Amino acid sequence: MKRKTFIVSLALLATLPFISCSKSESKSKLTIALLPKSKGNQYFVTCEKGARTAAKELGAELKFDGPINSDPAKQNEIVENWITDGVDVIVAACENKDSISTALKKAQAANIKVVTYDADAQPDARSFFVNQATAQGIGEQLMDTAASLTGGEGEFALITGTLTAANLNEWIKYIKAQQAAKYPNMKLVDIKPCDDQKDKAQQEATNLLSAYPNLKAIIGVCSPSVPGAAEAIKQAGKAGAVKLVGLGLPSENKAYVKEGVTQAVILWNVEQLGYLAVMAGAAVAKGELAPGATEFTAGKLGKMPVAGDNIVLGKPFVFTKENIDQFDF
Amino acid sequence: MSSSRSFSIKSLLARHETVLVLVILFEVILFQVLGRNFLTGRNFSNVFRHSVEIGLLAVAMTPVILTGGIDLSVGSMMGLCAVLFGMMVNSLGMNPWLAGISAVAFGAMGGGVNALLITRLNLPPLIVTLGTFSLFRGLAEAITKGAESYSGFSPSFLALGNSNIAGLPAQIWVFFIVAAGIWFLVHRTTFGRSFRAIGYASEGARYAGIPVARNTSLAYIIAGAVAGLAAVILVARLGEARANAGIGYELLAITAVVLGGVSIFGGSGTVVGTILGWIALAILNNGLTRISDYKIMDQTVASVARELSGLLTGLLLLTALTIGASTKTLAVRHARKQSLAKPTSNPATS
Repeated sequence: MKRKTFIVSLALLATLPFISCSKSESKSKLTIALLPKSKGNQYFVTCEKGARTAAKELGAELKFDGPINSDPAKQNEIVENWITDGVDVIVAACENKDSISTALKKAQAANIKVVTYDADAQPDARSFFVNQATAQGIGEQLMDTAASLTGGEGEFALITGTLTAANLNEWIKYIKAQQAAKYPNMKLVDIKPCDDQKDKAQQEATNLLSAYPNLKAIIGVCSPSVPGAAEAIKQAGKAGAVKLVGLGLPSENKAYVKEGVTQAVILWNVEQLGYLAVMAGAAVAKGELAPGATEFTAGKLGKMPVAGDNIVLGKPFVFTKENIDQFDF
Repeated sequence: MSSSRSFSIKSLLARHETVLVLVILFEVILFQVLGRNFLTGRNFSNVFRHSVEIGLLAVAMTPVILTGGIDLSVGSMMGLCAVLFGMMVNSLGMNPWLAGISAVAFGAMGGGVNALLITRLNLPPLIVTLGTFSLFRGLAEAITKGAESYSGFSPSFLALGNSNIAGLPAQIWVFFIVAAGIWFLVHRTTFGRSFRAIGYASEGARYAGIPVARNTSLAYIIAGAVAGLAAVILVARLGEARANAGIGYELLAITAVVLGGVSIFGGSGTVVGTILGWIALAILNNGLTRISDYKIMDQTVASVARELSGLLTGLLLLTALTIGASTKTLAVRHARKQSLAKPTSNPATS
């Protein structure tokens, strides 16, 4: 009895692959697949918005799919599903650099073009990387904004994540270089780590405010430090007297920016990142952008420079009281 | 027992496996109608390539659940074995196949730890494996400091996860061998049959002369070893070994086992049921990705389909269990009525 059921079920299952009749679609439209690190993240939802705009302008079909949990195998699975679908180009933000590269190389072997954005894969697993910002761009923008708020003089301090974080140190290096080159009347008095915690940042900022009564500005280098420092400045009653600039999501800082505690938040324009990534993907798929190119036309963004296999979005965007309401990420 | 029963539609319907085959057929038809590129050779391969790790865990979990136990640590064990495997290959320069075998051995050792605590100290399996669930993952994270990962494995090893043998994904052949082995053990040996006896009544089994502790231990050791194997296969597919391998897989495996009609209290169930339960889940998950970008009244539901996967998995599990339980109740009622009419006949057990 049991065996009979088993044999019947096996026989039924075995016939499945043979009934296959894949629906063939007319392949006139360019199909672009956009992979975020995670789908629910507001950052990538905003990327998707820009990507949809780009796809519309191109008359292309956009597929947007990504993991919704922390399973590291999910991104690979999605890419392999896209290979099955025969998309023209995959535009990916990579969570696990090495494992996603395995799947992206498979896509390349299946004649699908691959472009990465936000976080890169192994260089041989994609043709171009759409870089949201260079360390130099971020560092210089933070320094320039702080200087313009203080009139180019006075003491300032930094709050960073940890003293060992490589990317943050890279940005700090360019902050220091820009200050030395352009703002000789400003003086960096201290760098404090906040361990990427908002309440620790608040503590450190409070300490900075009492230790340096002449402090003119604080620059928050990691994103939790900006709202943390804002709370400290607000509680010390120094809103406006000590300027606050930092790197972070507009949404996290909106309240403080509107109150006038935080003067400026700096981040690349995430929507444009999605837009540029899709434009680059489409250009590669159409053969308009090939290795060795020095520039390409990215829709409404105009001509974008290409450095090697990197396409840089450009200067980071400054969110202030005036424009922060237009952004919801 | 049941061989004397005549072949009838009713008795066939009463079998949980039949319900599952119908569910699978329904899924296939549904996704073929709604989805794109569902019944293609490539996608068919993908269904199994992407879920073979869960299938392995589910098949190995079956003996454990048959004994009335549970093993929550297998997903974490995958993380630990993946990291150990990566270390052996990258840091010690070991041959990947040798390292793979060692990873399976480490898995068996981890299963042995579970078995010792459960059978020698008589601690509840749920609590023990909840402990090792954290312990194994914690060890994996400690070894890699949470961030380190291992990659750059040889192409011949990566082929295990990404190539085809005779038109089917390479790893599915490994699954066939493991599944056949466990099926044989559970259904064709006295050793394996003792799993159900232990789950049904462990005291009774002990009085019947079954070495309960030894046999139960074996179930956990197998589960651990297979988790190690699943880790190696996952690493071969992804090309990267990281501490977060296999997160949440233990629950998916348990879902497949229970969907397959194995009683969570132990004592009854089949390996074939588990395999069908796993296939039903694998097809559901893959099929949902096929209908991404599907349009309902010109509204793209791309971002909804995948998120429905959890909801539908739950619904599928509860529906299959409900159908199973109600047909069983009907069969019992029918049998009782018959036995009342003819007091001499033996009421059939379902």
